[in-house]
Amino acid sequence: MANSVKIALAGNPNSGKTTLFNALTGSEQYVGNWPGVTVEKKDGILAGHREVVIQDLPGIYSLSPYSTEEKVSRRFLVEEGPDAILNIVDGTNIERNLYLSTQLAELGLPMVMAVNMMDVVRKNGDKIDFEKIAKALRCEVIGISALKNEGGQEAAEKAVAMAKCGEQGIGKREEGTGNGERGTGNGERRGLRRAPEVPHVFSGSVEHAIAHIEESIQGKVPLRSIRWYAIKVFERDREVINRIGLGVGEMKHIEEHIRDCEKELGDDAESIITNQRYDFIQRLMDKSLALNEKRKGKATLSDRIDKVVTHRIWAIPIFILSLCAMWWLAVAENGPGTLLTDWANDGFLADGWHLPFTTHECREEGRYKGMEFEEAQEEFAKAEATVQAWEAGEKKASIEDEETGETSEEWDVDEAAYNAAKEAKEPDPSQFGVWVPGIGALITGALERSGVSDTVKSLVVDGAWGGVATVLGFVPVIFIVFLFLAFLEDCGYMARVAFIMDRIFRKFGLSGKSFIPILIGKGCGVPAVMATRTIENERARRMTTILATFIPCGAKTVIIAMFAALFFREQWYVAALMDVVGIAIIILGGVALKKTRLFKDEAASFVLELPAYHPPTISGVWHHTWNRLKGYILKAGLIIFPACVFLWFVMHFDWSLNLLADEEIEKSILHDLGSWIAWFFEPLGFGSWQGAAASVSAEIAKEQATATLGLVAANMGGATTGSHIQALFGAVSDFPKLAALSFMVFNLFVPPCMVAIAVTFREMGSQKWGWFAVGFQLFVGYALALSVYRLGVLFAGGGFGIWTALAVVVDLFCLWAIFRPARKEAAK
Amino acid sequence: MNAASAIVLAAVVAFAALAVWRVMKKGAPCECGGTRKSCGCGCGCCGGAEGRDNASPKAGQD
Repeated sequence: MANSVKIALAGNPNSGKTTLFNALTGSEQYVGNWPGVTVEKKDGILAGHREVVIQDLPGIYSLSPYSTEEKVSRRFLVEEGPDAILNIVDGTNIERNLYLSTQLAELGLPMVMAVNMMDVVRKNGDKIDFEKIAKALRCEVIGISALKNEGGQEAAEKAVAMAKCGEQGIGKREEGTGNGERGTGNGERRGLRRAPEVPHVFSGSVEHAIAHIEESIQGKVPLRSIRWYAIKVFERDREVINRIGLGVGEMKHIEEHIRDCEKELGDDAESIITNQRYDFIQRLMDKSLALNEKRKGKATLSDRIDKVVTHRIWAIPIFILSLCAMWWLAVAENGPGTLLTDWANDGFLADGWHLPFTTHECREEGRYKGMEFEEAQEEFAKAEATVQAWEAGEKKASIEDEETGETSEEWDVDEAAYNAAKEAKEPDPSQFGVWVPGIGALITGALERSGVSDTVKSLVVDGAWGGVATVLGFVPVIFIVFLFLAFLEDCGYMARVAFIMDRIFRKFGLSGKSFIPILIGKGCGVPAVMATRTIENERARRMTTILATFIPCGAKTVIIAMFAALFFREQWYVAALMDVVGIAIIILGGVALKKTRLFKDEAASFVLELPAYHPPTISGVWHHTWNRLKGYILKAGLIIFPACVFLWFVMHFDWSLNLLADEEIEKSILHDLGSWIAWFFEPLGFGSWQGAAASVSAEIAKEQATATLGLVAANMGGATTGSHIQALFGAVSDFPKLAALSFMVFNLFVPPCMVAIAVTFREMGSQKWGWFAVGFQLFVGYALALSVYRLGVLFAGGGFGIWTALAVVVDLFCLWAIFRPARKEAAK
Repeated sequence: MNAASAIVLAAVVAFAALAVWRVMKKGAPCECGGTRKSCGCGCGCCGGAEGRDNASPKAGQD
């Protein structure tokens, strides 16, 4: 849009810019209450104003370019030049936020200051005099609450009006206000004659030096921002000085003024500017901010909660407890997640289910008349066992539970019982109570009615739908995990987790800044890698990029959920343990990497502002949860579905493209491909073509591992997909639980999905670093799976072999890498 | 192969191809609610110039 009006949303991190952006544009940008959520500029159209583009900038504390997101914001504001700035200020922390506001005002662009969180300010009983702030900073000031959608639209429309006035305001410019003048970084768009009015916050001698600098740089920089440039030159900002291209003579002249000033005030130029800015803000606050007397000196509810939640000793147990609570809800036996997942997998997405809270008695005349469905199933199983026992020549029969392996009481078998049992038919669930058919049954029924061949039916039911249903079956688990995380985020606890982890990270020489990408990575590894941009130090940034995806993301949650459901029903804590192991790998991996020449460096400082606790809003929690869940469901349709169709084809055709029957799958392309690389997984306990195919396909998307397992295990024993997979691991290892754990660990901690790998390569900046990251992740995942399986087998009495020796060697190497003394230079 | 089988087979293959084409064009959907190449995705995944170049602001249009 060539003639569009650009309004930039600028402000401190965590001041509510993205919340306001979403409210103004109707967008659904990710909002978090910790700094560093927005690392790139985002555009949206102001609702009701097609010509107005709202630009959400990463949060910054000042216009000094220390980190990548600060550079993004500064470059945009100074060089590209929006038509107006909507400066979002946190009303509960107005003093600190004004530091940036004074700098924004110096840019000479039309500016509206939106003082956010006014609902909290009012609740606290504090009062802010907008008029005095507006007069001092020479901009419009409006109180808003982005969360409650109050005043945001008014502030945006005010900014639009000011921007438009600037565009048409030739008469105004001639009057010398200058506000609203627009220019590009390459010079003025229209000729300007006077600099706009901007607040003068410095003492006489500094203003004098700045005035001299302004004279020297006139004509070299856009007039509207001349004061900002002059202050930056005074601060000796190298980037700005180079950009202006001042000559040696000019710089020498300017240096004289700066040095005079420094001599007079007894400080360096940058500190003079910083201190005088804060003095100005302090004076302004004395006049315009009236804090509630009753609150002064009193600990707030947030402070009291923080005393416990961020306690030196209790903080970590509380964090682990909250993780355990999440995973208990999601995967514990008879927990809500498991009950819903069972219903989704066996009922809704498969054959169907009986309507709850209704009678399930059989309506039809016959063997099962009046029986409940479960009773009838038991009766049928008994009949089947009777037939089997009689045909095997035995006089007694019993039933073995498939899941628990327990055997029922025995009963006598005779010819009469055999004849009666032979007549028994499998109970039809639709004859019991109110039966709602599942999607799988509906698809199968429709295909059978239309008379499609068995092969095509298999493609649709086992291949396409089977794979998608395996993944969708875990939506309840994912929903609970995302809902829990959204709740913790919205109430303000997640910001505390970053604070707690900073304390731990610091002990190991790592920066807490690295934990923000890891927090984001719980949802998805791609934004987690992107979020490493907030880390200024290149080495720390690269290290965090390598480590961030070790935290199990949403897609990996599906793998955890499947294995927890199939192999660890009674040990639900295994699921929570995966998160703890992820964090441990990040810390220990970081410690080991920092001891190498490539990453040795001091830990960067981490400034984190803890938001006040507040009850999460239903819409906020739902928004967070649904956004993540929607992406997961979309992925099942857009990635898992075509991948499963492809896998079905390579599993049902041989290299001569002959269609294979189910029992001929061992001649298939997929079988051959899997077999070729199965040796790689042999030491890990799942060295079969199925395990290899599932692990490799997981690189498409992590949850594809579950879909592929469902597909390739279809020929194994058992009645359900779950029992097929259990049988698959039973067939490859004498220790199926350990093999399953090894498979899970391998797929959780090897390199993430292809998209995340691509982003890692991009963020690493070179192929060499990209391959280093992937190699490191592969080593960690492989070493961990090898240790889990081989040492597990050793302790389970499976004996000591060559692979156990390798596992011990690898573990010793890892311990050495972690605990060896740091290099001397690093320590220095 | 009968007509019904041919139609179902064609439909499955077409849907799979359509899904692949959409992913190639707009980027993979991610857990954060958007597609990775779209700037208005809400997931922070898009980033970089290439993301913006492919962007089509998804909201705010009245």
